[in-house]
Amino acid sequence: MQNPFMSAAFKPDLAFTGAAERFFELLKSFSLPGAGAAGAAGAAPDWSAIAGSLAGQFEQWLKSSQSAGPWFTAASAPGSGAGFGAAASSFGPLPLGAGAAPQQDAQRSWDLVARLAQLQAQLASYWGEIAHDAAQRFVTRMGAAAGGAPTLDGALKLYELWVNCAEESYAATVRKEEFCRLQAQLANASAALLVEQRRHAETLVRAFGLPSRNEVDALYAQLKELRTQLAELTEARSAKPPQPDRATAGRGAGKRPASAPARDRRSRRARKPRA
Amino acid sequence: MRPFGADASFLAGAAGAFVPELTLRVADTLARLRQARDVTVGCSAKRAVWSFGKTTLYEYLPLREAARDAPQRSAARPLLICFALVNRPYVLDLQPDRSLVRRLLDAGLSVYLIDWGDPDDADRCLDLEDYVERHLGGCVRHILVSRGTSSLDLLGVCQGGVLSLCYTALHRREVANLVTLTTPVDFHTPDNLLSKWVRELDTELLRQSGNVPGEALNGLFLALMPFRLTQQKYVRLLAGNSDQRALEDFVRMERWIFDSPPQAAVALAEFVRWFYQENRLIRGTLRIGGKRVDLAAIVQPVLNLYALGDHIVPPGASAAMERCLGSRDYTGCGIDTGHIGMYASRKGADEIPSRIISWLRERP
Repeated sequence: MQNPFMSAAFKPDLAFTGAAERFFELLKSFSLPGAGAAGAAGAAPDWSAIAGSLAGQFEQWLKSSQSAGPWFTAASAPGSGAGFGAAASSFGPLPLGAGAAPQQDAQRSWDLVARLAQLQAQLASYWGEIAHDAAQRFVTRMGAAAGGAPTLDGALKLYELWVNCAEESYAATVRKEEFCRLQAQLANASAALLVEQRRHAETLVRAFGLPSRNEVDALYAQLKELRTQLAELTEARSAKPPQPDRATAGRGAGKRPASAPARDRRSRRARKPRA
Repeated sequence: MRPFGADASFLAGAAGAFVPELTLRVADTLARLRQARDVTVGCSAKRAVWSFGKTTLYEYLPLREAARDAPQRSAARPLLICFALVNRPYVLDLQPDRSLVRRLLDAGLSVYLIDWGDPDDADRCLDLEDYVERHLGGCVRHILVSRGTSSLDLLGVCQGGVLSLCYTALHRREVANLVTLTTPVDFHTPDNLLSKWVRELDTELLRQSGNVPGEALNGLFLALMPFRLTQQKYVRLLAGNSDQRALEDFVRMERWIFDSPPQAAVALAEFVRWFYQENRLIRGTLRIGGKRVDLAAIVQPVLNLYALGDHIVPPGASAAMERCLGSRDYTGCGIDTGHIGMYASRKGADEIPSRIISWLRERP
């Protein structure tokens, strides 16, 4: 099934196909044999069957599309399109041999993976709640929906009603404090796992004499500081007209200091627009 | 539960009666979507005039029709557009009939735009002070010097509006008029779902875990209204009244929505903590570069446009600006559309530029 959050990329045709498939699935639920036969015979339709089918489909979609949560993508490879299971399996000690990460560090990683799975299971209970509530809302409001001959426009109206119910149920749940806390815990656990993995990597690259992330960051910080100073000097220069050097003012009034041309060249480089 | 009544027969026949028609529409829409996949975005000519790190400042070239007023234009106060860090600014110049930039140019304004670029691992330590003082500040100073003027008009959009408010509060002499679009000031309004979700994020872990990919933020925004944003909008294409041009408009928006740059880790962590978690801007406790950001210090004219149906920046989050500013010339206006509709809908394309242009004309 399509997974919109894990593959949040520009693929309008695929996204449309996925949504159309879901629409067809919903139409099938709307015309369940129980409901259809009962409706045709004039007897009471099987509401629980309709609600059950809708809720089941909906819960499945929620699980596949969001159970990993928007947060989790931050800790997985961008555009991986992987669900939670696949993403989780990519965590743990780096695949560089059994002894690559010290035992204690590896244990911390596995503890975090277990914590993620636990939080994920807690989150899944909410999908069931949302799906059930949405189905109940929908079935309750069906009587007010357009009736008459079955048309595509009528089906689209019914679909709009379904989406409204789904969004309302979703909004009611995801605004709850405990849900928000759980989402944040999931995100924090994902980030902690990523940080832990990077810590392992730092240990490894040091062992091989390679520059670590921290060292590279420190160099970037120095570079940033220098660029900032250079930009400030450049701005200060261009904001003020050239002043005669005090030392040479008496001897060659108005002449530019000897160092000025070199600084001018630097300033032009600093201001060159990016290609 | 309410009985179906007449709807029972509708349901009974639903699967059979219109499925052939529906199948045809799906196939047709899919084919047309594939045709439209390579639509171009961005329509007005511009040139890069300054850069710093990944940030580039663009100056839009005057439209041919507006070039007749070139002397007037060069004398006019420049307008700098500061977009959000989390999206690309080309949505403001998406296509000729939906381009805020084009409308501004058409009105004879001299328009500059900041493109923050794509931060990479070299930029993970960029912080908000860098963005406000050196990137946005660098753009402002470059324009002032190159145009030989002492102030410009600043148009901040969404998160870019927040950065613009900060900059204006810290450098009020450089900004003559401030326009904000969908800009939050109070991050703790009860209807702000995004704020509720990030309230307990560990920002230190966020900072340590590196730049956040654009896909992750997209996922977050889609999760605010998943059925409308990942399902309904596509199914609505089956309604049968969308011509090829409308479909191309749709695809352009899709391209923009899913084209999000990564976020520099430190700046994002600071933004989440200072604004979403601690609500420092409205509380007056925000400090950037050691200086307090006091919204009461903003005394210049302010036009604040926000969307009444905004699910990302609720109207109350933006309207709160009025009671915080020191300006006596504040105009707040809620537009009946959604967050993205402000930039790209027909209504937004008509109403927003008109309001900005007439407001600026009244404040030369």
